[in-house]
Amino acid sequence: MVLNKFQGNVLIGTIGYQNLRNHSVGSVLQPRIEALEWPDRVTVDEMNWGPIAITQKFQTMDEPYDRVVMVCALERPQREIGDITCYRWQGKLPSEKQIQACVGDAVTGVTSVENLLIIGEYFKIWPDEVFILDVEPGPEKSGPHLTPEVETVIPEIMDAIKILSLEKDPEIATFNYEFMDVLIPDDGK
Amino acid sequence: MCFKHLPVDFDEQGNAFLKEGVNDPYSYKSVSLDEEQDKLKELLAKNGYIKDVDYDPVTRVAGALAFHSVVDLKDRKVLSSNSIATLFRGYEIILKGRDPKDAAYISSRACGVCGGVHSTCAALAMEMALGIKPPPLGIVMRNILLAIEYLYDHPLHLFLLAGPDYSEQLVGETNPEILEKAKSTSAPHKDVHGYSTIGDIMKDLNPLTGKLYLEALEMTRVAREAYVIIGGKYPHPQSVVAGGLSVTIDITALNEIYNRLVQFFDYGQKVAGIWDDVFDFFLDHDPNYENCGKRPATMVDTGVWDHPDHYDATYENCNEWGKARWATPGVLVDGELVTTNLRDLNLGLEEFVEHSYYESWHENGQRFDTDKMGGPLSPNHPWNKETKPKPGKQSWRDRYSWDTSPTWDRMPMEAGAYSRLYNTALANEMPSRRYIEPTGHSLKINIPERNLPAAELEWHIPDTWNTFERNRARAYCIPYSAMVAMDNWHLAQELLRQGETSVSTEFEIPKKGTQTGVGFWGAGRGFLTHHLVIDDGAIGNYQIITPSTLNAAPRTPWGDPGPYEEAVLNTPVMEQFSSDEDYQGIDILRTIRSFDPCMPCTTHIMAESSDHVVTREVTTCACGVE
Repeated sequence: MVLNKFQGNVLIGTIGYQNLRNHSVGSVLQPRIEALEWPDRVTVDEMNWGPIAITQKFQTMDEPYDRVVMVCALERPQREIGDITCYRWQGKLPSEKQIQACVGDAVTGVTSVENLLIIGEYFKIWPDEVFILDVEPGPEKSGPHLTPEVETVIPEIMDAIKILSLEKDPEIATFNYEFMDVLIPDDGK
Repeated sequence: MCFKHLPVDFDEQGNAFLKEGVNDPYSYKSVSLDEEQDKLKELLAKNGYIKDVDYDPVTRVAGALAFHSVVDLKDRKVLSSNSIATLFRGYEIILKGRDPKDAAYISSRACGVCGGVHSTCAALAMEMALGIKPPPLGIVMRNILLAIEYLYDHPLHLFLLAGPDYSEQLVGETNPEILEKAKSTSAPHKDVHGYSTIGDIMKDLNPLTGKLYLEALEMTRVAREAYVIIGGKYPHPQSVVAGGLSVTIDITALNEIYNRLVQFFDYGQKVAGIWDDVFDFFLDHDPNYENCGKRPATMVDTGVWDHPDHYDATYENCNEWGKARWATPGVLVDGELVTTNLRDLNLGLEEFVEHSYYESWHENGQRFDTDKMGGPLSPNHPWNKETKPKPGKQSWRDRYSWDTSPTWDRMPMEAGAYSRLYNTALANEMPSRRYIEPTGHSLKINIPERNLPAAELEWHIPDTWNTFERNRARAYCIPYSAMVAMDNWHLAQELLRQGETSVSTEFEIPKKGTQTGVGFWGAGRGFLTHHLVIDDGAIGNYQIITPSTLNAAPRTPWGDPGPYEEAVLNTPVMEQFSSDEDYQGIDILRTIRSFDPCMPCTTHIMAESSDHVVTREVTTCACGVE
């Protein structure tokens, strides 16, 4: 079994605003993810403190992460609330104007997984392996708790996080995508 | 006497009173916007066009401000402008009924950039309400913390958000003739910033790749590192509390701060030189640029950075401790300083909601007729105001914004980092002059030697207040803030030498009775007040006025445009374009951005005689307007 385990340093990062019910799945689950038993080489942290600050931290790390696993909620078409999607970030960047817009959002306090991915990619901080696990949250609502649909799939989410963090070549990361769903089409303007 | 519109006068001791014989002294008559809108509609119809535009927020991730303009591209002028705050934030409602101590933590979340100023303002409001004077070290360390916050904020605005508007990339698209000229125009401050030509500067202002852009990113990191030594974390500090700070300050902490602070000595000189050169070049190239974003220098500022020998947190002495600040509070009306008294500033404040999505709060009468000293208060004063949201249809004739219309003496007021520079220079009252010296017409900033030789920078009050001067003054606010922090650093070191280590004062919140307070502080974007009413130990009312509440305001009840609206209305179209479709609206964007709007802001500019709608983002800090 050890042969199939990923041996590098892993960061499991949760992303998303708090108190937005299912949209806050990352921050709600963060303490539970942290409470799981992890090897020393796995770090669990929230990643809502700004893509630029995160970029600058990564740039100065003596021992960079070998893999990053992001846990978040994203509204995607044709999914049911609680559906889970796992995939590997391919590193494709939009136009420079779009990247500058991402920086504008990032430095002004907007929390967004695609901003983080794009800015991190632009400044080349990401390791070769970046996996994203996103949960379908349904329409945005306020409140501290997850809905029953998402509560029900928490064990599945936890299992998926373990696989994405610990397995070598995790086979569950199968989803194909162009860009993140909430990123507007890059029309080059 | 500072009031011209409110019926408030002062006796020989300076006590404010309502003028006698004025019935219903705070009444006013609302003016209909129908005639203006009818004229506009007629004009559009004559050109064969009636537009129907969706003004919903179209920002990509978080939208809070939209801006609508109708532009006559033939005559190169703006016909109409409306500033629209598209989101309701509601911190006032969230805070109601809570423990007052929560305000410093919760209100911090009003902004994703300048959380510390909200925490501090909340702490100051409580200090006034409950009579808590922080120890000297707590006061000076708070000053350093917030000066550092500006050192994060200003480079971010000048190079990451506004800078690209003056970059080779953008100027090449909108005004290629200017770029061409820039390439052969020498930069006067080459000895400070190292660039031979304006074109070289513009190249390094390019977003993402320009050296100045990347250097600013790095400087935001330096400022953040210094900030967290005191605040614990950024942007929402954990250590700002009523009564001071909850952090241990020792000589090691001061050294760590010093190592970061000194990096802003050279950087401050460089930034001032760069923007002096770029803006002088534009204004020399075509004097009509002077009209971009032009409006009277009618501004308000609370001042910031309390002096430990003067600040006692009382409302009774707020005029005195306000004037002892490193930035002098005050109100400017068309360039004339009409008061530097914080109490006058407070008495003249009102908020109106005729063009906003709020209900009136007057049905239950007026809670406070006077302040603690018997000065008259309007029913629309923040201590009397209540936040009652009422979503509705957007109409330029009626209600179109979640922002309110705050006024001072019934005038819309502009706010900005530059207002504190302007007031301090003009007032010439600031007592602490180790590094900063106001002259009555300028502000001198003495920068010690580091890699660059020591220098005396001098910011001059401009003849015309416009887009370029806002950003120029903001550039000078970097060395200004750095040297205020340095002055306070010396004070902190002296206090530690004397054995003063206390940074906070203990207090208890009375479980019975009513207390009122107001925090007067400055955000990175200027003016900030938190008005607090404590009822039986809990927050009874909380009202926040941010700089963008002032700047992004919709029309007043009597039809005066808010500062964004007025500045855009005065902006000529300087951009070169061959067809309506090529028009980018850069002059309007530069104008809105020169205010450093506290919101992810989207502009919609409708070109007259065409159906071309220009949509551009003007993102800056994500600070709420309500």
